[in-house]
Amino acid sequence: MSHQKRFTRRNFIKTTSLVAGTAATSAVISACTGVAPAPVQAPAATTVPEAAATSAPAAAPAKLDLPFPVAPEAMDPFKLATDVEVDGQFFSGGFGDGYIRYAAQIEEMIHPGLKVQVTPLQKVQETLQARFVGGNPPDVIDNSGAGMFKTVDLVNEGQLLDLAELMDAPALDTPGKKFSETLFPGSQNSGVFNGKQYGLNVAYTVSGIWYSKTLFDKNSWTYPETWDDMLAFSETIKKEGKLAPWTYQGKYPYYMWGIVWFQLLYKVGGNDVLIKLDNLEPNAWKDPASLQATESIYALWDKGYIMPGTAGLTHTESQAEWLKNKAVFIPCGTWLENEMKTVTPADFNMVMGGIPGYKDGKGDQKGIFANGGETFVVPSKAKNPKHGMEFLRCQLSKASARWFAENVSSMMPVIGGTEGAKVSDGMKSALAVAEGAGTAIIDYQVANWYSKINKELEVHTGELLTGKLKPAEFLDVMQKIADEVAADPDTPKFKREK
Amino acid sequence: MKHGQKLFIFSFLVVPVTVYVIFVAVPYVTSMLVAFTKWRGLSMNITFNGINNFTKLFNDPNFWNALSHNGIALVVLLPVIISIALFFAFLFTQGIRGGGFFRITFFFPQVMSAIIVGVLWSFVYHPTIGLLNGALGILGIQSMQSFPWLGDPDSVFGSILAVTVWQAVGFYMVLFITGMESIPAHFYEAARIDGANSFVLFTRITIPMLWEAIRTAIVFLALGAMDMYAIVMIMTNGSGGPSRAADVVPRYLTESAFQNGEWGYATAMAVVLMFIILGISILSLRFTRREVLEF
Repeated sequence: MSHQKRFTRRNFIKTTSLVAGTAATSAVISACTGVAPAPVQAPAATTVPEAAATSAPAAAPAKLDLPFPVAPEAMDPFKLATDVEVDGQFFSGGFGDGYIRYAAQIEEMIHPGLKVQVTPLQKVQETLQARFVGGNPPDVIDNSGAGMFKTVDLVNEGQLLDLAELMDAPALDTPGKKFSETLFPGSQNSGVFNGKQYGLNVAYTVSGIWYSKTLFDKNSWTYPETWDDMLAFSETIKKEGKLAPWTYQGKYPYYMWGIVWFQLLYKVGGNDVLIKLDNLEPNAWKDPASLQATESIYALWDKGYIMPGTAGLTHTESQAEWLKNKAVFIPCGTWLENEMKTVTPADFNMVMGGIPGYKDGKGDQKGIFANGGETFVVPSKAKNPKHGMEFLRCQLSKASARWFAENVSSMMPVIGGTEGAKVSDGMKSALAVAEGAGTAIIDYQVANWYSKINKELEVHTGELLTGKLKPAEFLDVMQKIADEVAADPDTPKFKREK
Repeated sequence: MKHGQKLFIFSFLVVPVTVYVIFVAVPYVTSMLVAFTKWRGLSMNITFNGINNFTKLFNDPNFWNALSHNGIALVVLLPVIISIALFFAFLFTQGIRGGGFFRITFFFPQVMSAIIVGVLWSFVYHPTIGLLNGALGILGIQSMQSFPWLGDPDSVFGSILAVTVWQAVGFYMVLFITGMESIPAHFYEAARIDGANSFVLFTRITIPMLWEAIRTAIVFLALGAMDMYAIVMIMTNGSGGPSRAADVVPRYLTESAFQNGEWGYATAMAVVLMFIILGISILSLRFTRREVLEF
C-alpha cells in the first residue's frame, strides 16, 4: 500500500513536470545549436565515403580510376596532408550537387586517404554566418543562390583567402599550363577585388539579347547590327502591331542595366568609361557616352517598344510572355534556356545575339559581357584552406567541366571543357558571339563592389524604363549616389586599371 | 508543504523564465548595444560608433520613405478595416439568411498565411492574365488593359493595402460578432420601444457596448500597420516596390542587414522601430480609455 501511496496524483504531476521541464530545455538547447551549426567532424572516417556515395544523386558517377592523365608536377602542388577531412559547404540549386560530388571524388582519388565532406545547402548566409563570426568557417563554399553572402562584404571583413597560389599552380589535366591559363579570359573578373582573386566562378554565362530563331526565319527578319537598326526594326514591329518589340524582367530591372546598359556604354565609350565608373571618379556618370547609352535604352520606353505591363512582371513571368511570342526580344544570360526549359515550346528555338552597337562607337563593337556565376570561395580562417584550393583546382578541371556539360547542360569557363560534349543550340549561339568577341570581354564592377550603387541602379533603371526619369535625370541621380559612396569613410574602396 | 509548494511553482517557472531570458531578454539588451556599433555581421570585428547610426538614420531619406508608408498604413487601415468589420458584424447579427456562410467566407482569408495571400493577389494584379485587369476589360475600361498594378509607383502601395484590408476584415468581424452577441437583447428591445431606429441602436448601444473589442482591434491594427513585412516582401519581390514606393521599415531593415552588410545600422533601425511601436501602443490605449459598462 505504501508503495502505491507514493504515486498520488499530485506527486505524479510534480515528477512529470520536472522531467518534462528538463526534457524541454534540452530540446530547446539542442534546437539552438542546430541553428548555429558547429559541425561534428565524424571521427569514423571509413563510414563517410559510403554515406556520400549512397546520398549522391543518380547522375553521380561510379568510382573512377583516374580517367585522365595527370602530370607528376600537377599531382600535389599544395603538398597536402591526407589525414584530414575537408569541410565543403555548397549551395545546391538548379545545377544540383552531382558536379560537386564528382570534383570531390577527383580530389579524393588523387590524394588517397583524404576525405572530402560535401554538404549541400540552400540558404548560404543564414547557415554559415555564425561560423564566420565564430571564426570556424568551412574549407570551401559555393556561395550562390538567393541567400548568398555578398562576396564584397566577406572581402571587406578579411574573411576570404587570396587565391593567388591556386591561380599559379599547375592545372590538373591541361599539361604545361597554369591553372589560371586554363580559364576563359574575363570569366573570373567578378571575383577580383583590388587585383586579388578572392572568388572563382564555376558556371560560365554569356549575356545578350534573346530571340526566337523560328520567328525570325518565318518573317525573314535579320538580327539588327547597330542600335539604330534595332530601333528601326522595333518601329516596323510596332507598326505591324502583332507583337511588342521588347520586354524585360520588369520587377528586376537588373537585366536592363546589368546586361544592356553597361554593354551599350562600353560600345559607345570604350573600356575607359567603365573603368572611370568603377573607380568612382568624379563626374564619371556624366560622361557624354553615358548619356548616349542611357538615351538608347530610354528610347525603348519613349517610343513605346516595351510590351505593355512589363513593369508588373517578374523575371519568369516576362520570360514566359516572351516564349508566347508576345515580344520579340528579351535580355538575359545563358541560364535562360535551362530556367524556362519546362515551358519552352518545342519549335521556339531560342538564340542569343550580342548587344547591337554604334557605327562611331569607341569600344569594340563585337564586345560581349561574358562572366560567371556560382562563385566558390575559400575562407581565410578555414582549418584547411589549401585543401579548399585543391578542391577548386579539381572543380575547374577539364574532366569536371565535361561532366558538367554532359549532365547539367551548362558550361564551365574551362578551355576545352566541352570537347566532345553535346551543347544546346542556345548555348552554341552564345558561344559564337563570345568567340566573335575574342578578347573584347566587357568588364564592370561598380555594382559588384558597392551594394548601394547596385540597389540604386535597380530602382532608377526601373524609373527610367517607365518614363518616371529622363536620361539626364537618371545620370544626375546616379552621379549623386556615386559621390556619396565615394565620400563615405565606412565603405572600403576598390580600384582597377584595365 | 509550503516549501514543497514553492518548489512546485519554481519547477514550472524555471524553464519558461530561462528560455525567455536567453531568447528574448538577452537579445533585446544585446541589440540595444549593437545599435551603437559599426558591425558587418560577418566577424567579431565590432567597433563602437556612438550615436552615428541614429544620426545617419535621421538623415536617411529611404528610412523616412519607409516609415511614411507605415504611417499611411496606420492612418488608412485602422478606420477602413474597423468600419468594414463593424458593418459586416452588424449585418450578420441581424439574423439574415446565409449569415453563417458569409461569416466563414469572410473569415477565411485570415486562415491563410500572408505568403499565400501575397502570391494569390500578385496573380490577381498580373498585368496581362490578372483577374483585376480582366474584370476591368469586361466592364469596358480599356485604358487599364495590361496596367502593372504592382509595377507602378502610384498604385503599388494602394494595391497592397487593399489586400491587407481583404485579409484582416474577417478576423475583426468575428471579434465584433462575438462582442455583439453578448450584448443583452433587452437593451435593444427597450430602445426600440422608445422609438429608436437601427442607426441609433448601432451608435448608442452597439458601439459603446463593444468598446473593449474595438480598443483591442485598434491596438492590433496599429501594431500590424507598423509591420507589413511579409506582405510587402512577397508582393514587391523583396524590393519594396518600384521607386521604393511600397517600402516599409522592417523590409528596409533587412535590406540594410543582409544585403548592405550594415548590421549595426539595421539594429539601430530596429530599436527606433521598437520605441515607435511602444509609443503607439501606449498612446492608443490611453486615448481609447472609456468607462466600461458592466452587464
